[in-house]
Amino acid sequence: MVKASALYIVIIIALVIAVICSSLIISAYFYRIQYQKKFRYDQLENNLNSGVNIILASSDTAYAKERTLSLFNGDADSVSLQRLTWGIYDVGIVKAFIQKDTLFKIFSIANAIDSSKWAALYLVDEDRPFSLSGKTTIRGDAYIPKAGVQQAYVDNKAYQGDKRLIIGTKHISDKKLPVLNDQRLKQLEQYQDQNVTNDHALTKTDSVTSSFLKPTRFVNFKKEAETIKNIKIKGNVVLLSDTTLTIDSTAVLNDILVFARTIIVKSGFHGSCQLFAADSVSIQRNCRFDYPSCAGILRFKPPPVKSQAKITIGNHTDFSGVIFTYEKMETPVKPLISVGQYATINGQVYSQGILELKDSTKVCGSVFTSRFLYKNTFTLFENYLINTTIDSKALSRHYLTSELLPVSKKNKKVLQWLEAN
Amino acid sequence: MARGKLKRSVQASTILEVVVSMVIIVVAFGIAMMIYTNVTRMSLSAKKIRAQMLLQETMLIAEHTSANVTQTINKDDFRIEKEVKPYHEDAVLTDIHLTAYDQNQQKVAELRKIIINQP
Repeated sequence: MVKASALYIVIIIALVIAVICSSLIISAYFYRIQYQKKFRYDQLENNLNSGVNIILASSDTAYAKERTLSLFNGDADSVSLQRLTWGIYDVGIVKAFIQKDTLFKIFSIANAIDSSKWAALYLVDEDRPFSLSGKTTIRGDAYIPKAGVQQAYVDNKAYQGDKRLIIGTKHISDKKLPVLNDQRLKQLEQYQDQNVTNDHALTKTDSVTSSFLKPTRFVNFKKEAETIKNIKIKGNVVLLSDTTLTIDSTAVLNDILVFARTIIVKSGFHGSCQLFAADSVSIQRNCRFDYPSCAGILRFKPPPVKSQAKITIGNHTDFSGVIFTYEKMETPVKPLISVGQYATINGQVYSQGILELKDSTKVCGSVFTSRFLYKNTFTLFENYLINTTIDSKALSRHYLTSELLPVSKKNKKVLQWLEAN
Repeated sequence: MARGKLKRSVQASTILEVVVSMVIIVVAFGIAMMIYTNVTRMSLSAKKIRAQMLLQETMLIAEHTSANVTQTINKDDFRIEKEVKPYHEDAVLTDIHLTAYDQNQQKVAELRKIIINQP
């Protein structure tokens, strides 16, 4: 005999319904939580981008110290903003937070190019003409001496380039180069005068990464001639030395600053960093400096021993960024930038003194110099360019410059995203 | 075999059992329907997502436009109110406030951002 058991059956059905309902409630609960989280993160991302725009539009000093503000005077729109000087560029730190959720973005800031001042070549007028020989190409606007540009016969080679000599508009240059930004130079001088304690930890490890959220890590080698090798250094790190600092090809440096009296970069090095020396920067052959890098001579005081400030770029080296020389007080021996054979520079060269472009060098960007120099075995030619290419059109249209250089516009843009969560 | 099955007798439920089970089943279904309605009502509607996306798109266009003005934009089934004002009297920054309304004039989504003025 089979029992009717209507109650039992109903209880089982009710149980099944209860299970379905509870799973529905749980899934709806998690969905809601996730949606709220996504909504909050969308809002945070939006606030973060607003913060980035505020930093980009701000003046240099406005956010030198971290400032927390409410964007629209609402509940969930707090951001914290800070802008640091980082070599020739700036670094922006933006944090957006709602309750316990925080998003941050750290990025480097650079200036857009002022097309009205931009030139492929700016050669100071020293009352003498400028001569081209061999397969030389100059593409883009050029500021040249009043005496003009002419073809020349050097090393048994006639000029073989474009008939126009300069493929672009020609302007007359001044007797002096457009000056570097004084405020930025002062900021760079402060780095050189840093008196910080030595950080021995650097020699004991194979990798150092310092976030820009933390205070800058200064490593001062003082008067010890040090070689940086078998180490990876990245981020908010400044290396200081009162004497020679050698960077081996086994070292990987990214985003860091290096200040020393003399910097030697061994051949085969690959990285992106900003190098500033008081006396010389010597980059050996086959090195690769990724954008945005910088190599500069900064001489705020006359050297104790009279010596020529010099930047040497080795043969077959690729350098993307800015190369410049600066001497506060003019000396009889002008600073020299020497670019080796088959070297390529993507960016800007600003030489307050002499620029030596050897055979088959290529500058994709801009050259500002007081004088060109070309040496062969027997003769030294001034204001001659032989087998060289200066092409401003070959530079990426996304290239950004530093406010240090005279062709920069006031409006700032994000150069590189450094850190984010 | 069929005859054998028919021969088996089934005991009937009492009227009380049937009534109680009917009440239980009605209550259980009632609660289930209530939960289901609440869950579907509270979950994110496609309309809201569409409005949010539309605001993002409008903001993106505004960021690349040089002359942003306060205006009403009608897009798809939404009315978007675009409010433009300088941010803290800054000449370089603009505060853009977008609000999307549906056909019943109900606020569906909102987006506010500070942008840099295009030259």
